[in-house]
Amino acid sequence: MSAIDRTMHGLLAPPRVLEDADRLAVRTLLVAGLSPLAEQLPVGAQAVVSLPALRRMGTGADPLLEEPFTWKPAYVRRSLGLAVVQACATGHFRAPAQAVAPVADAAVEEWSRTGWRTFHWEPWLAGLAPGARAVVLADALTWATALWSALDWGAMPGATQIGGLDDQWVCPATRTLRLRARSELRVPLSGSPGDAHPGGPSALVSVSSGCPGPGWSEELAYLALVAGLRSPSRPVPSRVLGLWPDAGFRGFVEIDRPVLEGTVERVVATAAGLVQARTTRPGPGGADVDAAAPPSSLAAA
Amino acid sequence: MVVVDIDRTSQVPLRDGLGAEPGAGPGPTPPAIPTPRQVSPARRQDRWHPLSGPELLNRLRVTGRRRPPADPELAQRLRSALDHGLLPPDAAPLPAPGAPLVVTKDRLTRALACELHAEPSGFGDRTPTTALACGALVSALFRQLVTVGALGDPMADGLAALATDGRQRALVDWIGGLASAERRELEAEVVRQARGLECRWPTLDASWLPRTQEVLRARVAEGTVELSARVDLAIGRPAVDEASVALLEATSGSRCRQHRADLHFYALVETLRSGVPPFVVATYYTRTGELDVEPVTEELLSAAARRTVVGIRSISELERGTAVRPPGGLCVRCTPLPGWGLGHPPVGGGATGRRDGELDLGAA
Repeated sequence: MSAIDRTMHGLLAPPRVLEDADRLAVRTLLVAGLSPLAEQLPVGAQAVVSLPALRRMGTGADPLLEEPFTWKPAYVRRSLGLAVVQACATGHFRAPAQAVAPVADAAVEEWSRTGWRTFHWEPWLAGLAPGARAVVLADALTWATALWSALDWGAMPGATQIGGLDDQWVCPATRTLRLRARSELRVPLSGSPGDAHPGGPSALVSVSSGCPGPGWSEELAYLALVAGLRSPSRPVPSRVLGLWPDAGFRGFVEIDRPVLEGTVERVVATAAGLVQARTTRPGPGGADVDAAAPPSSLAAA
Repeated sequence: MVVVDIDRTSQVPLRDGLGAEPGAGPGPTPPAIPTPRQVSPARRQDRWHPLSGPELLNRLRVTGRRRPPADPELAQRLRSALDHGLLPPDAAPLPAPGAPLVVTKDRLTRALACELHAEPSGFGDRTPTTALACGALVSALFRQLVTVGALGDPMADGLAALATDGRQRALVDWIGGLASAERRELEAEVVRQARGLECRWPTLDASWLPRTQEVLRARVAEGTVELSARVDLAIGRPAVDEASVALLEATSGSRCRQHRADLHFYALVETLRSGVPPFVVATYYTRTGELDVEPVTEELLSAAARRTVVGIRSISELERGTAVRPPGGLCVRCTPLPGWGLGHPPVGGGATGRRDGELDLGAA
């Protein structure tokens, strides 16, 4: 069995859905941990816990990382890459190398015609010199190829969502403490073939650069936690597949109550670090604490 | 045994058509090459020409050897060899987990350099030179050609590409500050190499999944060491039954021994990360159109693992200030003598002090 076969077998295995009581218990634990922290935020400030923040915490890196946002190829890589994968998955192109330039051109053309920015980077890309544009396309192509070649797309359920908006949840408190998470794929799962539907059990797929750290399973579970908080009427994702193409690593985490409780501990610890940093170093009025990340809407594919 | 499978005869064109090419690697001294005036029309037809298009691609794909099978135990054996070499009970400790020692090809090369070729520069610290600028520009153009299939104004395209990378700011500024004569010289060489690329480099089928600047990482020695590489071009789908990936480096410089060592390191990291080795590694020389192809074997990977262990120990000792530089046997900048390859002691010792692989634009 090849690595791709093993990955698909694990990804599409019958789901185990978290009980409502467990889900409520996890939410209660999270709110109890975050609410006191949110109250410590300066007036007008907010804190955003994200996967990068979760990873930064404990590494000694600056938790705020407030460098001004300017467009660069790395910020286009994911959204263009996801659009490329989407175009291939729907059969418009055979492989990412065929798709990347037409997909980027179509986005720019659509923006030129209507003024609507699906990805936000269209005006920036349109203004680039050919050499710089090639770098953007090359980065996106390499990213998309890693995702495209990691899975058997012929075996993926038809309703698989590629990209989409970030999951967000705001802790009920007088100050804004927000959890934000993004997954590359949302894969509907079923116990029997043909039974998968978008509102039912699901699995998430996350793509990360670098090597997985020692807490990678909690980091993957964080994506399921936020997705479950955001959509209370839908089941919490049953599992998360993490892909680290740089390291050739594929890891699963099956979502259950102990896993989520462990993740809550890490989220609270991360939020505490962010709030402390914001308290000692207030940012410009109401600035997003996780300012280094590009706007969440850039994730839209 | 290191298999040498080089797409070049002794008639490979030289920078100016005269004299010996620097860093031609091990082997007997090539016969003197006649000047153009001495070459008869009949002989001229036999002269070496760089491969192009489908021929170049076939040279890369068909190595004459069976591709390595996808043996799950191979990566494990290599990993064990690295772990055994890096974590012996009596050895000085490597950095603690959480702060892995990042090892790149350049870092290995520096750590294994002999006294004569040792460089004081630190990790990632390179002073801009014309050769470095040419290499960076041509590398960007190679990437552009692979991705979009066309080049425009090579200098403008290359500079625009470098400007998107904040890490290249110093180099871009340095190019901008060149005197006009130097800049013209640089531009002439970049344009010459770009036109050569356009003429010779084949279009890659999208189904081969070409990707550029692919990052390869593998942690070994209980996570204390991270082997890291960024390969110019990777082609091929993930392996199922046998190795299916080719790794290629494009370089604007001259052939030198270091390039082979770099490729072997890439092959090692790819094997550790994906579990299957690449079936071939190659260097494409944009200056001449030479393609240096090397099939990947277990022997090659084992030798790369041994060299990596020695290099990592050397890095670790250099950082502690306790290192004694290794003799020239592992220094890729020492001119190799016939009959010995990487990892073997030099016969008669000594190094020329010449920096092979440096692009001498003045003679270009």
